[in-house]
This record gives sequence, C-alpha cells and structure tokens, in this order.
Amino acid sequence: MRNVVVSGVGFVCSIGNDVETVTRNLREMRHGFELYPPFEREQAVKLVGTIKDFDTTSFDAEDWTYPSRYSVKRDVLRGFAPHGLYGYCALRQALDDARLSQDEISNPMTGMFTASAGSVSMLHHNMTRMAERGVMRCNPMSVVNSVVGTLSFNLVAAFRILGASCGFASACASSGHALGYALDEIRLGRQKRMLVIGGEDGNRESILPFAGMRALSASTDPELASCPFDRRRSGFVGTGGGVAMVLEEEEAALARGARPYARFLGWGQASDGHSPAISHPEGQGLSRAMSACLAASGVSPDAVDYVNAHATSTPIGDRAELLALRKVFSGEKKPAVSSTKGLTGHGLSMSGILEAAFCCLALREQFIPGNAHLRVPDLDVASLHLPRETQPAAIQVALSNSSGFGGANVSLLFGKA
Amino acid sequence: MTSDEPEGQVAVSPEQAEEAKIREALRRCSPETVAAALGYRKNKDANLANTVVVGVLCRFVEPDQRPKLQGEPEHLRLLEDLGLDSLTMVEVVMLLEEVLQVHIKNEELQDLRTLGDVKAYVHALSSGLPPPKRPLRMDVAAIAASMPHQPPFLFLRDAELRTSEASGTYAIKGDEFFLSGHFKDRPVFPASLLLEALGQLAVLALLKGPAGFGVGGASVDPASIYFTSADGVRCTRICKPGDVLDFIVRPKRVKHPLAVFEGHVSVNGEKAAFVEEVGLTFDFLRPLDEAGKPSGEVSPDAPVAPAAP
Repeated sequence: MRNVVVSGVGFVCSIGNDVETVTRNLREMRHGFELYPPFEREQAVKLVGTIKDFDTTSFDAEDWTYPSRYSVKRDVLRGFAPHGLYGYCALRQALDDARLSQDEISNPMTGMFTASAGSVSMLHHNMTRMAERGVMRCNPMSVVNSVVGTLSFNLVAAFRILGASCGFASACASSGHALGYALDEIRLGRQKRMLVIGGEDGNRESILPFAGMRALSASTDPELASCPFDRRRSGFVGTGGGVAMVLEEEEAALARGARPYARFLGWGQASDGHSPAISHPEGQGLSRAMSACLAASGVSPDAVDYVNAHATSTPIGDRAELLALRKVFSGEKKPAVSSTKGLTGHGLSMSGILEAAFCCLALREQFIPGNAHLRVPDLDVASLHLPRETQPAAIQVALSNSSGFGGANVSLLFGKA
Repeated sequence: MTSDEPEGQVAVSPEQAEEAKIREALRRCSPETVAAALGYRKNKDANLANTVVVGVLCRFVEPDQRPKLQGEPEHLRLLEDLGLDSLTMVEVVMLLEEVLQVHIKNEELQDLRTLGDVKAYVHALSSGLPPPKRPLRMDVAAIAASMPHQPPFLFLRDAELRTSEASGTYAIKGDEFFLSGHFKDRPVFPASLLLEALGQLAVLALLKGPAGFGVGGASVDPASIYFTSADGVRCTRICKPGDVLDFIVRPKRVKHPLAVFEGHVSVNGEKAAFVEEVGLTFDFLRPLDEAGKPSGEVSPDAPVAPAAP
C-alpha cells in the first residue's frame, strides 16, 4: 500500500495565521477569543474565535482587507465567500510550505477536496437583494459565492487544479471526510497528491443559529466559555477561518526533497444512527469510527500516544466522546487526550482539518497540546489522561476525531514522519 | 419635517439622493467617470455616455491591462484583449444600466464584443436610436462553405462581418506546410500570406457582408473574384507559431467590377501589418441591366476583366 505524507500545512484561524504563530500559541496555550461586536446585543452568545488581520464584514469582496503578502486578483476574489479568502490564503501558505511548483499544482495527478457548509451570510444577502431589486440586478457571482460547494468552485479554478475535485458537506465531520477520501484517492493510485482545504465564515450568520439549539456558551469569560471536558462547560465558542493541507504520495514527496510533517496512516468512519443533531449518549458511532481507523491503519490502541478530541465544550457531546474513548482505549496504556477547542473554539466544517493539522505539528515538534480551561474534569474522565498544560513528549502516533450532525463520525490517524 | 426625524439632519432632495446613488455605484471609478455620469443625467449628452462606458470598463479591467484602453481603440476586444469574462460583462452592463438608466437586452449583450460595439450600442440607446445592426459571425466551417478558398490555403479561423468592416482571426499553429521552408529551422508566417489573409477576408466580406457594401445586395459570384492590387504595404512585426493574427478590412470603394479595402493585421493588440489598399475584381451572378443593377439570366460565360492596378 502506498504511504502518504503531509508535506505542507497552512492556517488562517483564531490562534494564528501562519504555522509559527499557531505552534507558539498551542505551546503557550493562548486562546483566540474576543468579544464579537455583532453579538453586542445578543444575550445568548458573546465570544467568537476571531480571525485577526482580515476584515470580511462587507458583502462586496473588493472592500475586504487582508495581509498584504496575499494579493488576490479581482476575478479570483469576486466569487469568494469570506471563508473562500481564508481558504485561499491558507492554501497559499501550504503550497509554499510544501514547495510545490506551479506545474506540480496544476497537474492531472494533483486533486483538491474541500469542506465547507457554504456561506449563510452571503446567501442571505443575495436572497435579500434578489427580493428587493429583482434577479437581473443580482451579482452574477451570487450562486458561486454562497452555496455549499463555493470553496471548491473558487479554489479549484484559482489554483488551476486539473485532477479530482469535490466538496464535502457533513457538518462538523466535513473536513475529516475530505481528508479521509483524499487519502484513499492517493492510495488507489488515482492521484499523486491532494490539496485539502476546510473553511468557515465564522461570522454572525454561521455561528448565531447554534444559540437556538442551546449549543453556544453565553459566557464572556474565555475560561468558562470554552472548557471542553470541564464540569462547568455550557456550550461552545464558534470560530471560522481556513486550513489547508498538502497530502502526497511518500515516494513522490521524498523524491522532490519535501520535508514531511507526518505520515497519514489511515482513517475510519461510522455513524450513530441516532439523532440528526445530538450525539449518541455513549458515543457508539465515534467509538466504532476510532476502532475502524485503527484497524485500517494496522495500529493497536496501545500504540496511540495522543488523541486530539472533537470535544466542543457541550455537556452531551463531550461526555459521549469520553465514553467512546474509554471504550476504545481500555488497555493498560492510555493516550494523552486533549481538545484544542479550548483555545481555538469550534470551527464547524473546518474543525477536522484544523485539528488534524495540529496533530501534524505535534508529531513534527514533539509536543502534546494541553486542555485549556480544564479545571474540574467531568466525573467520567477519571480513567483517562487529560494533560492541563502543553508538554514536550516523544510521540509516534496521534489520532484526531470529528463528529458532525447526523451522527457522522470520522477518525484520522497520523504517525511521525 | 416629521417629528421623529433626528434633529440637525438636513432634508435630502431627490436630486441629491440620485447623485449620491450614482456616486456610490461608481465609487471604484475615476472622478472623470463620476462627473461624466452626473453630467449625462442632466443633459443626456451621448459623448458623456461614452466617457462613462470607458470609465466603467476600466474599473473592471485588471490594473495591468488598463493601459490598453488609452486612446479608446474601437477594435479592442473585451474578452480576448482586456481579459474580461462573460460574467464580468454582466457586471459592466448592470453598472451601465444603473448609471445611464438604459436597458441592455440579454441577447444583445452577446453582440458587444469590442469597445466600439459597446460605445455604439450605448450611444444608440442614450440617443433614443435603434441599436446597431448585429454582426454576422462565422466559424471556420461556415467560412469554408462560403469561399472559393479551402484548406490548406484558407487563413481565417473565424470572422465577423459588419456593415462598416469585417474582422477575422487566424491562429498560427506551427504545422502549416510552408513554415518548414519559411524559414529553415525558424518558422515565420510569410508577409505575403498576411496580405493573402486580408484578401480572403475581403472576399468573404464581398460574398457575405451585410447589405450596404456598395453592391446593392446583389449576389457576387464566388468564382468571379480575383486579386488585382495592393498598395502601401507595411509590415512591422514578425509573426510566429502561437501568435493569433487579428485581421480587419474596411471597404474604401466598392463599385462593380472593383472593390478596394483598407487592411490591418495585429497580434494581441500590437500592429503587425497595414495595407492602404487591397484591390479585388468581382462580378455578379446575374448580368447588369441598363440601370447598372444585376438582373436577367445568369451568364456563366461572362468574362472577368482584371482591372489595371
């Protein structure tokens, strides 16, 4: 079977807009939360994991501001939702990081999978304008800049992708699925490399509806607002951004002198078959996804050193995951488990790839990110190892979980390169 | 002023509100464009509409392409030369419609290919005249079906025929049979064939061009057309494989049995050749009556008398 490596990563997220800053903030446990001005009048939610140095508030992409090192031509920018710009910038970083040439990027053996839920804010704006001014007075890019698939339409064209391309939409498991199927694409020999990007607007329209489900924390205190696995948890803090990873067939990557972050060992998925919106109380689907992932990778649970949990800081979801982890890791040796959402917030469709990329940083830099804001663990966690602080550690294997609406669960396994 | 209006706020007149809307719509355009739009709304001066057209196009064109708009060349193609795509054209049209208060029909949008097309179209709309006649577009198959010339000696890939002129293109592929000998190891499209291609476009214009080319709509006999002269030929650019040749011919004098055209060749906006006069002789499928109009029986034996250059 072909080995696959991660040869480049890029971030536009609440804890940093480049690999160095993100790594530093993971080590130093600095969160990315701020009081979000559009939530000033809301009672049910106050904090957001904000994207710094970008302003995508306007519905006219030409008004947006972003770091000057990215220059985006108008004909590329005009079809973007906010997360299109985030994903674009993250991908530029990942491609520079992987040192891929334009010929290698725009090549029939290079494909692109994306994960995004579309842009609710753009859709709302476009529909409002259509109602007010008539369809013939709408931005001709109205469909392309808003519907599910917007991230794929735009980035595949912007980067002149010639291989496979597809967008994934399985809510908070989306980018886990995108990575898993991208791995398969290379293993099946269909593609030599895959660019995978996850993105979310992380704005009022993408986050606020979760308050209606009582899934958001109303706290203004970061310590209380996002504290996965803690008894005081009351909901998540929303965030957005863009994260990109370059997956590459190992021989091809090494032949061109790439310096991989990690090996992508395998993946697994399973569904709860339980509720459209609520996790199975014992995390049955998630435990089967983890077991399937380990079996597919040929790795025993004892060999796992670190688990980056999906835990978003909701009462039901976190407990379900703890129970699933307890079931899978029932042997003598327990992996360290942490949820980095205590620092970043929950990036929805983007969270899977954000945390998979954290696992790659952890494997390359040999550290285990801590559980931010965890003070008094939920009773169930007594038998699991939940480090409070980031610590240096010799780790070989890291697992990343994602769970989405509809009870979709994805587990991804990475190994030291 | 009603009681719930905030204190200190000055009432805005409809004219001011309208001006503010125009300024907002044109906020990414030059001050000259805004001034022209405001002026146009006051006096409906069609020249100001022209300035708005150019200013709006400039706003949507990538900065590195904007110098091409200088001098407002009529034949500058919006898609091929300026890099605008069809969706950007929709944005151009929407903005022009809003600012100039005109309505551009969707099916007519496809006919707006050059800067000259847009200017003529908007000029007609803003003057209350009927829009210009649609050009006749032909692809290589349609051209070959109409012409005595055939591959491998047909140097037109597509053509557009208007009342005032005909334009066409040819992409030099590199595998043309004559390039292996012109020159050895260094293929250059022969200047004589640039002239030939202009002549072919003139032939096509005579055969298929819209009425008003001076031949009164009578049918020209394809087998009757021959080259007679070329005056004032100047070649200024070496054309090589990969280049797309753009041809334009404009009728100068068309009167049976002679047709004289002016010809231009360019590559990506750069002048390649100019011919002051290309002369052709032609005959009608039907002989002329006393009034000089074609009528009566077809005369297959009618001799073609080449005119002296």
